[in-house]
Amino acid sequence: MATVTLRGIRKSFKETDVLRGVDLQVGDGEFVSLVGPSGCGKSTLLRIIAGLEGQSAGSVEIAGAAVDGLRAADRNLSMVFQSYALYPHLTVAENIAVPLRMRRLSTAQRLPLVGRFMPGTTARLREIEDRVQDAAGTLEIDRLLDRKPGQLSGGQRQRVALGRALVRSPAAFLLDEPLSNLDAKLRVHTRTEIAELHRRLDATFIYVTHDQVEAMTMSDRIAVMMGGEILQCDTPARIYEDPVDLRVAEFIGSPKINVLPAESDSAGRVSVMGRALPLQLEPGRRALSLGLRPEALTLTRRDPIFSGRVAHSENLGHEIYVQVTLDGGGHRVVLRADPALRAGLGLGAEAGLRFDPARAMLFDAEGRRLRGVVATAPAVREAWA
Amino acid sequence: MTATDTLPIAPPQRRRAVDADRRQAGAGWLMSAPALALMLTILIAPVLLAVVLSFTDYALGNPGFNWVGLENYERIFTRPTYAKMLGATFTYVLTVVPLSVGLGLGAALLIQSLSRGAGVYKAIYFLPVMATLLAMTIVWQLMLHPSIGVVNRGLEWVCAQPALEGLFSLSFLGLAPESTWFGRVCSQGTPLWLGDRDYAIWVVCFIGIWQGFGFNMVLYLAGLTGVSRDLYAAAEMDGARSGWERFRLVTWPALGPTTVFVVTITCIRAFQAFDTVEALFSPGGGPGKSAYVMMFAIYEKGVTQNLVGLGAAITVLFLVFVMILTLIQRWFTERKVHYA
Repeated sequence: MATVTLRGIRKSFKETDVLRGVDLQVGDGEFVSLVGPSGCGKSTLLRIIAGLEGQSAGSVEIAGAAVDGLRAADRNLSMVFQSYALYPHLTVAENIAVPLRMRRLSTAQRLPLVGRFMPGTTARLREIEDRVQDAAGTLEIDRLLDRKPGQLSGGQRQRVALGRALVRSPAAFLLDEPLSNLDAKLRVHTRTEIAELHRRLDATFIYVTHDQVEAMTMSDRIAVMMGGEILQCDTPARIYEDPVDLRVAEFIGSPKINVLPAESDSAGRVSVMGRALPLQLEPGRRALSLGLRPEALTLTRRDPIFSGRVAHSENLGHEIYVQVTLDGGGHRVVLRADPALRAGLGLGAEAGLRFDPARAMLFDAEGRRLRGVVATAPAVREAWA
Repeated sequence: MTATDTLPIAPPQRRRAVDADRRQAGAGWLMSAPALALMLTILIAPVLLAVVLSFTDYALGNPGFNWVGLENYERIFTRPTYAKMLGATFTYVLTVVPLSVGLGLGAALLIQSLSRGAGVYKAIYFLPVMATLLAMTIVWQLMLHPSIGVVNRGLEWVCAQPALEGLFSLSFLGLAPESTWFGRVCSQGTPLWLGDRDYAIWVVCFIGIWQGFGFNMVLYLAGLTGVSRDLYAAAEMDGARSGWERFRLVTWPALGPTTVFVVTITCIRAFQAFDTVEALFSPGGGPGKSAYVMMFAIYEKGVTQNLVGLGAAITVLFLVFVMILTLIQRWFTERKVHYA
């Protein structure tokens, strides 16, 4: 197990810059997710760490040593591919044994038929078999060892791919969207299993996904990537509650964060859609974006900040997501409500909304988070009366 | 309606259902009859006819024929001409198949590794496949002419350069000129190629390989596009450092289905070799019948000499070989080759 450090990684394909200076420090035994929309360069970054692709600039260090000149086979990393990449002609046991056979046996010992008679082969083969049994036991695939990948379900193949990765003890595990070919139910289940596997192995995991739920639920830290850069790298809680960039705030969280146009006047007072908010910024007129998570908005009858009409509602059983079209401007916001309030939330029903100013996030015109926001009035928490 | 009401009329209902089934089956047979008739008359009947004829002494134009039992087959397995026929055929098949499959695979792998210029190479290697073999054979015949052919002239020119002669005859290693092939060519005269029974079948084999491997290359190129890039990445991560290891672990197994197909097709084409032999050798079958391949024997006996019974017997033997090949292919596809 080891640390992985990236310094100023750049990658260009001809004219296009895919990665534009990525720095990342992954600690020993840490689970870090690289998350972002497709085309943000996260898979390319993983392949650069693996050594399957070369970077245009910057350096990769594993366990404190630069590995830039080393090819993938010599970096002591394991990788799980989105397509699983199992060898279709080999059985499950043989698939899992491949990394060990390649590393523990000499070329002569690997020869078919003759190899068995080379000195020391039998002992090595027995050792490999034991390791394969251990790995299969860990992943509960012992009964599948004689099957070919073609005879396995998607979930089973995924386990075999994991088994092949963990059969030797690599410096770090690289996982490239390993769950995206599974159905929704299996994905939730496997998510837990991978997180538990990480705790049990206490190994360094770098996990690439476009699914923010996977990143949120499994990782110690999340690196949100967009346009070839890491916008923010932090714990899931801080990424959600304290995003540094509007793009991060919009990418993480489901339903998406509500963004409303706002502005501040020369005195620094913030108003949204003509309505003054109890928020104070440094003086100066500017255009702003106000970000409100669906759970930050509450329904109210007395003195609402916004009012509008219910346009759509989604009942998930334990909660309802209500979409409200605001009066004056036609912006639509989503809020989370208690299912008990369902009766009063028919289509077209009037709804008054308010929010705790402390939970509002302000971003400047470039999407950067504005700090130094002062709530000028005491936050009033008010339930639906 | 209650159950008791329906009971009495149940048997006629069942009978009607049986009738309907039978009628439907009849209609089915009626509709497939034209296809079946065609299949019988143009595919099955000729084969059966060949089998029947192989037991007779029938000749085209004769009013009748006599049953001769296994006499035709006996001839094939006892006369030296047919021993030569089987020898030439298997020499051809066993040389052409492995070499043209191997060269096809090698060319495909090399072309696939190119980043540019792949199209040019593909076109060049595929050119002999597209050209008419008969015309190409005549060109080869001219090139291999003992006195005016470009091959022998080239050899003579090389022999006239002492440095090159020393290089190719390996005499710079201290070997006597007579002990290497090239040394003998220079001292004893250039080969007769098509007129020499030691060379004739190999020239036919060479033309077969030259003409056929481009086709195999195209099939392998198609097979290579189906190999997942991820598998190569996985092999690299798993520690397969050399190109040979990646080939063993990924490429070769993935090309299994292609290889079975390529080998079968090449075998059948090799068994069918005819036009090269027909065009290259005027008396037929090459010097001392050294290139007397099966298809040519069928043509010579059954058509030229009008020994239809004998020709049919060779044809049946030919069919047996092809059938065995097909069975081997089936066996391979069913258990050895993995179709992912």
